[in-house]
Amino acid sequence: MCRARARTALWSQWPGTHCSGSPIVSSNRPGTTGDPSRFPVDIFEHAFDRVPAMGVETACLTSRPRWRHDEGPVPDAGMLPVLPALRELLPGGLRRGTVVAVGGWGLLCLAVAAGASAAGAWCAAVGLPQLGVAAAAEAGLDPGRLLLVPDPGAHWPQVVASLLDGCELVLLRPPGRPSAQVRTRLAATLRRCGGVLVAAGGWEGAQARLLVARQEWAGAGTGHGRLRARRVQVVADGRGMAARSRTRWLWLPGPDGSVGAADQLTAPAPDMRDTG
Amino acid sequence: MTAGGGWPERVLVVWCPGWPEAGQETGTAGDDAGSGGDAAPGAGQRAPEFGPVVSVVEEFCPRVEVLRPGACAIGVRGPARYFGGEGALAAKIIDAVAGGGVACRVGIADGLFAARLAAEHAPPAWRDRDARPAPAASPVHPGAATLVAPGRARAFLAPFPVSALDGPDAEDLAGLLPRLGIGTLGKFASLPAADVANRFGAAGVIAHRLARGLDPRPLAPRPPAADLSVSAGFDPPARQAEPVVFAAKALAERMHNGLAARGLACVRVQVQAVWEDGRQITRLWRHDGLLSALAVAERVRWQLAAWRPGQPGPSPLPAPPAAGQRPAAQIPAPRKAAERAAGSYPGGIALLRLTPDQLVRDQGRQLGLWGDAVVTDRVARAAVRVQAMLGHDAVTRPVLAGGRSPDEQVALVPYGGGGERMLPPGGPGRAGDLGGPDRSGRAGSPDGSDRSGRAGEPWPGRIPPPSPATVYPSPLPARIADGSGATVAVSGRGVVSAPPARMSADGAPWLAVTAWAGPWPVTERWWHPHAARRRARFQLVTEDGTAWLVAVQEGSWLIEARYD
Repeated sequence: MCRARARTALWSQWPGTHCSGSPIVSSNRPGTTGDPSRFPVDIFEHAFDRVPAMGVETACLTSRPRWRHDEGPVPDAGMLPVLPALRELLPGGLRRGTVVAVGGWGLLCLAVAAGASAAGAWCAAVGLPQLGVAAAAEAGLDPGRLLLVPDPGAHWPQVVASLLDGCELVLLRPPGRPSAQVRTRLAATLRRCGGVLVAAGGWEGAQARLLVARQEWAGAGTGHGRLRARRVQVVADGRGMAARSRTRWLWLPGPDGSVGAADQLTAPAPDMRDTG
Repeated sequence: MTAGGGWPERVLVVWCPGWPEAGQETGTAGDDAGSGGDAAPGAGQRAPEFGPVVSVVEEFCPRVEVLRPGACAIGVRGPARYFGGEGALAAKIIDAVAGGGVACRVGIADGLFAARLAAEHAPPAWRDRDARPAPAASPVHPGAATLVAPGRARAFLAPFPVSALDGPDAEDLAGLLPRLGIGTLGKFASLPAADVANRFGAAGVIAHRLARGLDPRPLAPRPPAADLSVSAGFDPPARQAEPVVFAAKALAERMHNGLAARGLACVRVQVQAVWEDGRQITRLWRHDGLLSALAVAERVRWQLAAWRPGQPGPSPLPAPPAAGQRPAAQIPAPRKAAERAAGSYPGGIALLRLTPDQLVRDQGRQLGLWGDAVVTDRVARAAVRVQAMLGHDAVTRPVLAGGRSPDEQVALVPYGGGGERMLPPGGPGRAGDLGGPDRSGRAGSPDGSDRSGRAGEPWPGRIPPPSPATVYPSPLPARIADGSGATVAVSGRGVVSAPPARMSADGAPWLAVTAWAGPWPVTERWWHPHAARRRARFQLVTEDGTAWLVAVQEGSWLIEARYD
């Protein structure tokens, strides 16, 4: 808190700058006071880290960074990391302050969240009583940094907004089709908190959309073997830089439950026969 | 605070057995405030105001430390001299508290820890008012007070199990020590202090001091309640939340300044809003000396918001205390349905008061080098806020436990229930360190079966990874038919009647089965009349590419999970 206050004080002294929202909330990004290479650093933290060059940097601090697609590759500062297998589908990671829509509830949702969780982010899952925690853990999501709100009730938008104040990433399965008003309000919360909302099911205006187009389980036969791995074809598209549709084959999950890249042409996993 | 001879001050603990405090029975005040345990509104969970009991005890000694709702402590030396000895003091306090209709036990010993155990392990004075014995003929209720003679705290503590320890990381220690063959406080106390410090660190030293009957920290007496509380009146009464929240920020600053001037911090802050017509809503929020004025104001807003009509979940109003507690006038009456529907604060808020609760010496705060503490605080705030909206049990954290089926492998622990300590520090690979998840109310399975298994231990017959992403909280009914349309059956010897050909999940259209594996019969808890179950599990892949985990039990098919 002391550091946060120091930062806030510094902030308010700069001429021509303004701080919107609660400064303490904005500057207490988890993981961001740590090693910058390990976790993307919020712009507020950059402000602190670059104090020697303060005069030079002031210009870019006058507003939240707003990325335009013509600026080329996005900086890492505004991104949450994703698993290596998903990097080609979600170039750069998950953009803070945006919504990622995944076609339906499934392991893909957990895989999208796993990269950020493994990097130290807190995740919350709203409206997902059926979330398989063991599968989440196998995919790389840390159950120690997971909050579950299985039944948010009718006030789920407020619940999501509250959780976004504390968590980097919120997994949501909306009980119904979210109204435009709800979407606008949550978008504002997302921009303010810098979190990412992963919505299972459709979400109009999502920054990125992912969909399992084809899937194929391996390992089970007719009365023998067991489920070993699933090869899926994931299609990603979205807005801006992400507008081009991309298709990748993934092991989702692989034989040990983790997520990996799969080649369309590879033979099914090394040994699919049941040895147990 | 240490009396002569190196022993801790004599402490008297008043403990009201069975005081409701949201399922937190064992934690100490510093630990259990648990960000929401007592803050969350929940039917039947909300602790009635402990204040009346405290004020009764205050008549004997003005400096009362509230340990948690249901337990408070006073220093015993002065009052005992005035009231004619420790036994007489204990009897007078028991009588006075009983006058308010609350049964209590009293323990007197060297140091808070021993006194607390003495109080909690004394036999009850009476079970309820009706069973109350004849009016006190003797000066001491023999069963209600336990007096541990000066200097005898260590001997008194010796037979207690190490799980009785409290303090930082005590639960880790309580899990670790028995595995090292140290089951009782007496054995732990007999270890050399230097070795304990080497092996168990700072938390171990505190626990070791406790076990030896020494004080880990001085009792921070509670000054008269009005001293540090701050309040603001509203004239005309505020009908909207905004002016109240705005005033709360300034009030919180005043309160913090007042605390800082005395070198104190508070563990909890009590927010009390009084309506024009005298009704009031009071709630305690965890503070720990960490909250900014803005954060306190935020909590006031949540408290008011949670009180607005139309919110789902249980009524945030405190339940009236059982057995007609004495100052019942302080407990607000439930709001009428018409007022709830009106959407405003009927009559308006006339007074807002912030009272720092559980004062401790402000020892400053060392932030984690990389801001760990800040992270926790931030997440905790979000979780507490959701708990304020939906109830204590609505926010859970998963704990990987042992089990064969996917739904058994995870136990859900309500956030802030003290269960966080049981979470594995890393992923599932380190989950073997878990304490028994059966400590928490939710983790125990409803059928009373053994769920205290550990994730790291082998579970023969466990469904191997990859694990399903969808685990149905209650299995879906299904129909599985063979090629001729007859339901597939599994004999007692594990023989499938015919290969499954079609599946219908919960009344959905039939899907052709393209691959299947199984059966894997399991007979679990055959020794338990209610929890016993015999199932045969299958994995099926249907024509749409989805894989399912299904089971047949007593001829009916269930879908336990879906691999999607």
